[in-house]
Amino acid sequence: MAASTLPRATGSFGSFLGLRRMRYVSRRRLFMAMFGAPAIVYVIAIAVWPIAQGMWFSLFEYNLLRPQRTEFIGLENYARLLSDPTAIRAILNTFLFTIAAVAIEFMLGLGIALLLWRDDAFNRIVLALVLVPLSITPLAVGLIFNALLQAEFGILGYFLANVHVTAPGGLFSTAAGAMTALITIDVWQWTPLMALILLAGLKALPGDVIEAASVDGATAGQRLSHVVLPLLLPAIFLALILRTMDAFRVFDSVFVTTKGGPGDSTYVLMFYAVKEGLEFFNIGYASAISNLMLLCIAGFAVLFIIFVRRADAQTNT
Amino acid sequence: MSARARQPHIVAQRLTLMVTLLIFLAPIVWLITTAYKPAREIFAVPPQLLFSPTFANFEQIFRIFDVPQLLWASILISGASTLLSLLLGVPAGYALARSGWRWGPAVAYFFLLVRMVPFAATLIPFYLLMRDLGLLGSYWGVVLINAVFNTAFVVWMMYSYFRSVPKELEEAALSDGCTLFGAFFQVALPLVVPGIIASALFCLILSWNNFLFPAFLTTANTKPLSVALLSAYGTKDITWGTMGALAHFLVLPMIAITLGLNKYFVRGWTQGLR
Repeated sequence: MAASTLPRATGSFGSFLGLRRMRYVSRRRLFMAMFGAPAIVYVIAIAVWPIAQGMWFSLFEYNLLRPQRTEFIGLENYARLLSDPTAIRAILNTFLFTIAAVAIEFMLGLGIALLLWRDDAFNRIVLALVLVPLSITPLAVGLIFNALLQAEFGILGYFLANVHVTAPGGLFSTAAGAMTALITIDVWQWTPLMALILLAGLKALPGDVIEAASVDGATAGQRLSHVVLPLLLPAIFLALILRTMDAFRVFDSVFVTTKGGPGDSTYVLMFYAVKEGLEFFNIGYASAISNLMLLCIAGFAVLFIIFVRRADAQTNT
Repeated sequence: MSARARQPHIVAQRLTLMVTLLIFLAPIVWLITTAYKPAREIFAVPPQLLFSPTFANFEQIFRIFDVPQLLWASILISGASTLLSLLLGVPAGYALARSGWRWGPAVAYFFLLVRMVPFAATLIPFYLLMRDLGLLGSYWGVVLINAVFNTAFVVWMMYSYFRSVPKELEEAALSDGCTLFGAFFQVALPLVVPGIIASALFCLILSWNNFLFPAFLTTANTKPLSVALLSAYGTKDITWGTMGALAHFLVLPMIAITLGLNKYFVRGWTQGLR
């Protein structure tokens, strides 16, 4: 961009030395390019380049432990992915986990946001405290729930096993239980973020609209579904997309609690990719798994943008 | 307030909120109190509310780990990556929001996508890159990779934030003879301070808590607290109590920052959504 503005600047008499005499429009463009370029260059060099390398690696049989056996195999890693029972399991688990966790977080988060909407001292204190789980390292969160849910001596786990809510071996001993535990952990940690974004959306609403609706004699339920929720759509989309993309790459809690078990019942894509890549150094296959995730996440982003465009168009007409 | 507080629906709302709060805070309280319990009382059934506090767990954690060094590494890594992300991300967000470049919005969403990349995809090529640059084991490798995801987030967040701030003020300043730099620093920047603080908080929390990048990119001398906690996990002579003690240093600073700056969390997001 800058390159195209420079000849024009030098075109005016005697200004080839100084930016001072560049036309305002050119100078402004150069300024914006200078502001934007460092971040773009940095992200391309440190993030996009490794991602591109990962795409390239996925076309190879490439193991760091056996580099001499590296060989171009085209899309074979992807073909293997679709016939590998563990990978299929991981794909299904990732979608199940993401949908369940985000849906529960959304409902709870919306409830909390609506309860905290009224701005008074009590609500401000509750909001400050309810945000605390956001800041706890997922590593510690995994450890806490691991300890609490153990059947032999975890406070919660012992109780749940004794009243036969869970299997005698505890929540982590069965496939469904372990998945429930992972979803619980995610809901505990990330419902506050959902509530925060939705509350911010509520606070950004024009106050007169809500007042007008309440004067009209609409009930609380009608106000919510006909006035508040439609106006809240941008915040709802934002909260859903951020959480969906993040939940889709769940890793930390799996790593410190179930390790994918029992068996492969809680394998998720990110865990599988890290295991293949950083434990077995199967770079080619791990890259293929990562690229599949990338494809899904990009798909979510595109869906999100389409929805936002459509919502924008509707509110503007 | 007292008159309003007696209205039945407000009482019900507050009770609901208090139960919610209890659920969200109890696990943290458990983690913190665990550190002061003697080993045999942690898993006593039924759980004991009263116990004689001990500092034995802290003594042990200081024997096993060089806690000040771990703390310093965590502060350095998260501080430097937050600073770098803000220095690069805030101006870029401004440029994308104000330049009128037709690809601006697309690039902003591209940054959001980068933020959401499954990092397993980048870790191995990045590891090889750092090996070639000779930065393995130094703080810089971790800072660079933490900051790249944070920069992507800051650009996107500040892009939405700057777009919500009216540009008429800057235009007025410019027509009064203010320079482009002046319009940015003196007019636009003060208006977006809540957004900057909110982004900084997210960067700080993310890089402080991350353990996978430093686990692969640091050595014993440069590892942060999160990696120490990971290495403590599953070690035989380390009990839940000592883990709780170590977790204090990891968890309490972030709780303090979250509580202290919580109003910026809400304000930062509110303005961006307007």
